[in-house]
Amino acid sequence: MGTSYIYKRDASRLFIALRDTGKRFKIYIPKESRPVVDGEEKDIDFVEQEDFHYAFDWKGKRFHCELVSRDQNKAVIKVNGVEYKYSLESLFSYIRHGMIDKDGKQINENNIISPMPGKIVDIFLSEGDLVNEGEPILSLEAMKMQNEITATCNGVIRKIHVIPGQSIMKDELMVEVTSIDL
Amino acid sequence: MKKRLLIANRSEIAIRIIRSAHKLGMLAVVFQSDREPDALYLRYADEIIPSRDAGNEKSIFLDPERIVLLANEHNIDLIHPGYGFLSENPDFAALCVTNGINFIGPSPELIRDMGLKTVAKSMAIKEGLPLVPGSDGPVKDAEAAKVFADKIGYPVILKASAGGGGRGMRIVEKAETIERHFKSASDEALAAFGNGDMFIEKYLQNPKHLEFQILGDKHGNVIHLGERECSLQRKHQKLLEEAPSASVTPQMRKEMGDMAVRFAKAIGYYSAGTIEYIMDEDGSYYFMEMNTRIQVEHPVTEMITGVDLVDWQIKVALGEQLTIKQEDVIISGWAIECRVNTEDPQNRFAPQTGLIDKIHFPQDKSIRIETGVQSGSVVTPYFDSMIAKIIVHGDNRADVIQKTLTALYEFSLLGLKTTIPFCRTVLQHPEFINASYTTRWVDQVYTPEMLENDDDEMIGALAATIMYASEYLQLSSDLPTYKNDSLNVWVLNKRLNY
Repeated sequence: MGTSYIYKRDASRLFIALRDTGKRFKIYIPKESRPVVDGEEKDIDFVEQEDFHYAFDWKGKRFHCELVSRDQNKAVIKVNGVEYKYSLESLFSYIRHGMIDKDGKQINENNIISPMPGKIVDIFLSEGDLVNEGEPILSLEAMKMQNEITATCNGVIRKIHVIPGQSIMKDELMVEVTSIDL
Repeated sequence: MKKRLLIANRSEIAIRIIRSAHKLGMLAVVFQSDREPDALYLRYADEIIPSRDAGNEKSIFLDPERIVLLANEHNIDLIHPGYGFLSENPDFAALCVTNGINFIGPSPELIRDMGLKTVAKSMAIKEGLPLVPGSDGPVKDAEAAKVFADKIGYPVILKASAGGGGRGMRIVEKAETIERHFKSASDEALAAFGNGDMFIEKYLQNPKHLEFQILGDKHGNVIHLGERECSLQRKHQKLLEEAPSASVTPQMRKEMGDMAVRFAKAIGYYSAGTIEYIMDEDGSYYFMEMNTRIQVEHPVTEMITGVDLVDWQIKVALGEQLTIKQEDVIISGWAIECRVNTEDPQNRFAPQTGLIDKIHFPQDKSIRIETGVQSGSVVTPYFDSMIAKIIVHGDNRADVIQKTLTALYEFSLLGLKTTIPFCRTVLQHPEFINASYTTRWVDQVYTPEMLENDDDEMIGALAATIMYASEYLQLSSDLPTYKNDSLNVWVLNKRLNY
């Protein structure tokens, strides 16, 4: 598995922060690297943390964040003295609320359909995993050749319909992928 | 024996005056108000007089009789009034004098004269200072108003003689409407104040506020230390000042400065004072008033001239002669002062009170901090919302703007909102950068949305997400799809292990 992919497996680390202005941030907080915001790894250092106060260093500047108020999934954060309002959701609740699903067609386009008849050799991911665009999802053997089938978007694996060793026909639905390219 | 100097003031200016008192070998005495018994300035003083003003209607700082009574009890030689409070109260100054206490400021008579705008203006006219063109007294009727307005040019402002609060006041843009406006304003004034008399004055649409620092001694010597621009105001409260002003040419500086000096000499002024001018877009300027106290924004002048104004106020009070001549005054570089007011610039500058959890000031050889608070201080509703000033010096205007911005990004205050984000916005606005800003900027240009920026917004989203994520993963740990192996630990750690 290539380590150069921005998103690691864990979809529970991906969140959506929606500002009161309607602006949306897709934030992935990896375990051992820097945060990924809207698909881009940011050179941000987390330098201080107290109960309601975080400080970050970025672009040679210090950013002080204070939690001003919190109500369920809504938070008001004061950044360098200015308040911003956000509502927060996990990727899963975001999908559940249909905010991604409203364009059903696009989702279908991201599902993985067998391009040719063949046999599933291996599946690299599990349901609920995050996947990067161009990252192999499974290996399909056809005409004695093994083909890596890759994701067409950054997304989350919703459902896997096949198992290793299974033979499939052309145009069969193998894996359902929901795009996170919001 | 050391002289005993009492400061009839509080907060940052008290600390500022204590510094000068110590430099001049005096003992600094301050009042402790029950309204803020743990204030920072108390720690800098040599002696504290408890004021026991808890039950009083007025705080000690507004109580001339009690101040003088306590001063006498404590053998005070000099009183420095600072700014605000009783600093321009002629009765207080006179009370000090009659009680044998040296009041640090000009004579009580001049404080009184300059406090009465009509008296100040007539003295200014006598000395040939330009005043905003207007009718000397009420104009007879709409016809007369039109004749006058045609002479001084539009726009003009009609003001009810007995007016106030905006009633009976009209701004007239052109000759065709003056009759109508005159009648309605006059009717309004008659109904509201029982007097329909109207004045007429030239209306400056986009004025700049400039002021010249004056320093005089009791021997007739007066110099000026250049100007400050204080156009950045909200409801006549200054928020950010600079010195010198980009709108004043060396020629104008000399002209306006000499005029200010001539005026101060003519009226026999001594101590520090300020001559305020209002400047029109075409560069014409008019005398507004004279302030007879040390001003909040005095440090910008000190930064560019190297002259310690508070030292001189004290020395002048003691009868010393000015050793600085006008030709010795050299303006070097540029300075900006940002006022740290605990006001919310996102919500119409509503005052904020409460605990300052943590305050951190920028530090650099080009930065001067004047503060009345520290981490753990409480901002009470009893006093002014200005808690500190950040003053920055640069080689030139562009340099000082950049340095100030950097300094403001190093400033942080946790617990309350301040006007510093507002100052950051100002410093980056094209109208400030090209120095075309006027006293109407806050009303006409500023919106709270201007305080926001993309980087802060994104970092806020990240902070909100981390706060949410730690709890969210705990709550949903039983759901099979979520692999919450270490995020909790990671977030709860004091540092993130990137």
